[in-house]
Amino acid sequence: MLPASLDEAVDALAATPAAVPVAGATDLMEAVNAGRLRPAALVGLGRITELRGWRYEDGGTAVLGAGLTHARMDRPDFAALIPALADAARTAGPPQVRNVGTLGGNIVTAAPAGDTLPVLTALEASVTLARAGASREVPVSHLLTGLDPVRPGELLTWVRVPLLHAPQVFLKATGRSGPARATASVALVLDPARRAVRCAVGAVAPVPLRPLEAEAWVAGCIDWDGSREIDPAATAAFGEYVAAACVPDSYGAEGAWEAVTEGPSAAAVRLRRTVSVLARRALGRALK
Amino acid sequence: MTTDPNETLDADPLGLTPQVSRELRPCASYTLRVNGFERPVTDAWIGESLLYVLRERLGLAGAKDGCEQGECGACSVQVDGQLVAGCLVPAALAADSEINTVEGLSAAGGASDVQQALAESGAVQCGYCTPGMAMAVHDLLQRNHRPTEVEARQALCGNLCRCTGYRGVLAAVQSIADGRASDVEEAEETAEQAEQAAAADQPAADRPAEEPAAEPAAAVEPPVYTDADAWIEHVPQPPAEQTPAGAGEPYGDGPGGYDSGVYDTAVLTPVQGIPAQTADDQVYYPPQGYPEQPYQGTPAHGTYVPGGYPQQSGYDTGYDDAPVYQPTPAHGTPLPGTAFDGTPPHGTPYVATPPHGAPAEGTAPAGVPYGATPAHGIRLTEDDHAS
Ligand SMILES: Cc1cc2nc3c(=O)[nH]c(=O)nc-3n(C[C@H](O)[C@H](O)[C@H](O)COP(=O)(O)OP(=O)(O)OC[C@H]3O[C@@H](n4cnc5c(N)ncnc54)[C@H](O)[C@@H]3O)c2cc1C
Ligand code: FES
Ligand code: FES
Repeated sequence: MLPASLDEAVDALAATPAAVPVAGATDLMEAVNAGRLRPAALVGLGRITELRGWRYEDGGTAVLGAGLTHARMDRPDFAALIPALADAARTAGPPQVRNVGTLGGNIVTAAPAGDTLPVLTALEASVTLARAGASREVPVSHLLTGLDPVRPGELLTWVRVPLLHAPQVFLKATGRSGPARATASVALVLDPARRAVRCAVGAVAPVPLRPLEAEAWVAGCIDWDGSREIDPAATAAFGEYVAAACVPDSYGAEGAWEAVTEGPSAAAVRLRRTVSVLARRALGRALK
Repeated sequence: MTTDPNETLDADPLGLTPQVSRELRPCASYTLRVNGFERPVTDAWIGESLLYVLRERLGLAGAKDGCEQGECGACSVQVDGQLVAGCLVPAALAADSEINTVEGLSAAGGASDVQQALAESGAVQCGYCTPGMAMAVHDLLQRNHRPTEVEARQALCGNLCRCTGYRGVLAAVQSIADGRASDVEEAEETAEQAEQAAAADQPAADRPAEEPAAEPAAAVEPPVYTDADAWIEHVPQPPAEQTPAGAGEPYGDGPGGYDSGVYDTAVLTPVQGIPAQTADDQVYYPPQGYPEQPYQGTPAHGTYVPGGYPQQSGYDTGYDDAPVYQPTPAHGTPLPGTAFDGTPPHGTPYVATPPHGAPAEGTAPAGVPYGATPAHGIRLTEDDHAS
């Protein structure tokens, strides 16, 4: 089934509740090929052109279509708008996957290593979920943490992202130089209007984590009215602070006996180092 | 494919698995447009990937199945002008799309310049990655007629090759780009000369014969990166009516073509080109690339006739008739057309690889005009590893 409009698509899902919506199919076919999923019917979203672009809304918000591909988000016009999301899209897999993999699919899959997720979390984005005759607005964090999940028959249609007109950075550590899923990632955005720094750490936990205390602390270290300079020592301390907040001592520890030993596990030490370097660099670049 | 009654479905990690009875394998019939030809697919399970349908139902075995997980790129094909992993496309949803496979590259009968260059540059060893690589190189050069090495590496980063080390492929990309550019120049020169000679009635005829039809005009344009829609150059495809009789004939003997798992030997024997016990045939599998064995490319899509591919003998090698076989050169001799410069003898001062993090010379992070995080593999100078 290849509906050409959003209305047709939600009607099709209402008519066949067992049908699975398919955007770029990069996550879906991986599950089908591995035998983890047997769809009863497919509703292809690829022909819904309205979801493949974005528009602007009053109050400095960009409304992004769920069907925006990673390849599309990587292009300069989009990158000028939401640089961190473009950075995340640029590194989300090989070209073959980024050409078709979508923003909506990335959010609904909600994989721990989903690269757009820390960015949307740091931006405090929200999404629109539509069903036949109704729609609702849910903050991305509620969706990801399972507080308010996608219900059967619902389509993710729009992603609402505030336009901050300030530097934002996404950095990702991977196991190899080619395209790979993140072992840790950091998204950091500046919100000069509110004199805030917002940061989210991806891939170290099932959902992106916000080190709220570290954010508040570092925002107080920045000279917002001047050249937005910061003491390099504060940048380094911010990195450590973020890492300690997001990686628990018991990270990677397998049994209870391991967890009671003193100090952080070896895996935690290593991951903290990665996260702290990413966070330090992200802040340094944002304030450069 | 059979359903085992004792089998239990795994819990759906996405929480979206509909409650389906195990017996229910929903099927669909649709028509795929592959390399310009309409190919009907009947009663196919909706979960079949485009890769599976191309290979097993339509007999187009060019795209290879390396992983079925989108990691290796061996299955790369173009769908609506976009390079995608065929294993991750639900075939049933590609019904309205224009699909181009590696078989379409050599549709004119001979190897395309991409295939030729890959073969000549030593970019083929076991060859498993080669069809996907050829599609990726083809796709890159359609969008960007003068890729830098970094751009080429980025474009090919989704195609794994376990044999060649990629240098041959990168050399091939440059040699194709050079070749196409000089073809264009030549064509322009010839056209100019023809104009000057006021022979206005025959300028087009002077073009080199083997020039790919669609490329020259496009090749003079600057690299287009701004809009995907602009990349998709519609190459007019031959109409479906040109399909010779029997072209839609599926392989095998199952109702939908394949399925039964039993190949019809009557159909396949001639395809394999095993000579029918004729004593005067010297070779069973003619060596590839020898001058006396002119290259017969995989027939263009739709030219399949039950009773045999036209004059197909031996395997599809991807070699054109031009390269004469040359023995492996002595150690250290650079191969023509490759960037290989031999292991230096002991004691030769070694030109060190630039330190990790030093950007390759003259390669500003391509396509990243706004100073953002560059694509894979490029490191910024401030990415110190100091602390
Ligand atoms: C080789 C490879 C490498 C990858 N690397 C990365 C990586 O580095 N980083 C990363 O983040 N991801 C990566 N991915 C994962 C994947 O590409 C992304 O998650 C992508 O964004 C998924 O989008 P899609 O459109 O393909 O989703 P699909 O596979 O089409 O859909 C995924 C799920 O979401 C549902 N869905 C999709 N769209 C909607 C919608 N609009 N409304 C409701 N439900 C919907 C589908 O029903 C399905 O259950 C990789 C994948 C592969 C195969
Ligand atoms: S088989 Fe499709 S990418 Fe490996
Ligand atoms: S030639 Fe063997 S994998 Fe590339």
